[in-house]
Amino acid sequence: MSYTIPIGPYHPALEEPCKVQVTCEGETVRDVTLSVKYNFRGVEWLAERRNYQQAVALVERVCGICSNVHTLTFCTAVERIAGLTVSERAQYIRTIVAELERLTSHTLWAGIAAEVIGFQTLFMTCFALREQLMDLLEKLSGSRVHYGMNCIGGVTRDLADPKAVLIAARNVRQALTDQLIPLFANDKTVRARCMGTGKLTREQALAWGAVGPTARASGLNEDIRRTSPYAAYAQLDFEVPVETSGDVFARVVVRLLEMVESCRIIEQAVDNIPSGRLHGPDFVEVPPGEAVARAEAPRGELFYYVASDGTDVPCRVKIRTPSFVNQPAVRPMMIGANLADVALINASIDPCYSCTSR
Amino acid sequence: MEDPGLDVEKMALVMVEAGARLVTVSAYSLDTGEFRLIYHWDLEGNLLNCATLTRQGALPAIVRICPAADWIEREIHDYYAVNFAGRDLPTLVINEQDTPGIFAHKFQRKNKPGGRA
Repeated sequence: MSYTIPIGPYHPALEEPCKVQVTCEGETVRDVTLSVKYNFRGVEWLAERRNYQQAVALVERVCGICSNVHTLTFCTAVERIAGLTVSERAQYIRTIVAELERLTSHTLWAGIAAEVIGFQTLFMTCFALREQLMDLLEKLSGSRVHYGMNCIGGVTRDLADPKAVLIAARNVRQALTDQLIPLFANDKTVRARCMGTGKLTREQALAWGAVGPTARASGLNEDIRRTSPYAAYAQLDFEVPVETSGDVFARVVVRLLEMVESCRIIEQAVDNIPSGRLHGPDFVEVPPGEAVARAEAPRGELFYYVASDGTDVPCRVKIRTPSFVNQPAVRPMMIGANLADVALINASIDPCYSCTSR
Repeated sequence: MEDPGLDVEKMALVMVEAGARLVTVSAYSLDTGEFRLIYHWDLEGNLLNCATLTRQGALPAIVRICPAADWIEREIHDYYAVNFAGRDLPTLVINEQDTPGIFAHKFQRKNKPGGRA
């Protein structure tokens, strides 16, 4: 006999609302229904009623964790329509901030994953590291969450303290290699909870359109920074970690190794940042046209489609976030899993419901 | 690629067989009452954009060919009330009691997008 358990929309393991309804036979999950409507704000509709400068501030608020990559991708799409060239210095600053954001996002996720696994010490270690990164971002941008670094045509601020960025990147790399990676990779509890749990095959990942670390943990070698480079990524040397087991442990490993690569990218970018202007003219005329832009957000590929009719207000802004495509892929991960692993499997894709429903 | 009469099911079959990933579908309403939909596919890192028009507000669903289209089609139905024939369309981001088409009608600002992607 099967029974159905509604989990959410509000529950202590996750601070954003989502309803996961699982149908079980015994303790085995047989079916899953997801409901993600609770954070719908109509951001696309709002963006089509604000001028381009206002829309930059608006799209930054799609998400409180990957806010910077939203403005970066939106600005890139508008710059393509307007034919604007962004200076190399601005491209390097965009890259540095994007990688710092990836580090804060991944340390947040690692902490939450540790808490879901039941490893409180590891949770505190991750959040202590994240705190240093957020302090640095505040020093650079004036804010811990919405950095306001990108504008159409470049960046709003110069890199205030390159030495502090370099020191932070080295410290984080050290903490990763000395503490976090050995703890996650070798701890018996972590391995027991994560290995073989929530499997997503390569074929399933492709069919469901999964992106980012979720896809790369299932053997898909896709990273927009590599396949379709933007900002300064084409000038920098980095690896794209790929795992093939497709389980929760593989997602853990991919994100941890990605953090090391982020540190490498930041160090190279700070060492090689060229001189140049920060941005173009204050007011940009956007001619009629349309463009798409993609960027590798912490959770995977972020996609923007922007259409202009030549006025100062975009006539269409389409936002496809990585969580929007990763979240449906938890269904094949959960079917056949143990009920006790549902929360961990959901957490393993690093879901963001503000991004999902916008 | 721009084809007002595009056979979207055939397109989806060809793309899936080639190993392409459905990135998303962009939609917006036109003065004619129809909608322009652009299917964005990623094939080995290259973005392929296939644009078409709805026929009497509808297009065939591709979710049976490509599971990734499930939420994408439901979201477009919520926003523009585009009907994807051959599948159920439960609401995704709006409440069950709300009428689909919240972006298409009562809040529509303008609908004159420019050139091509």
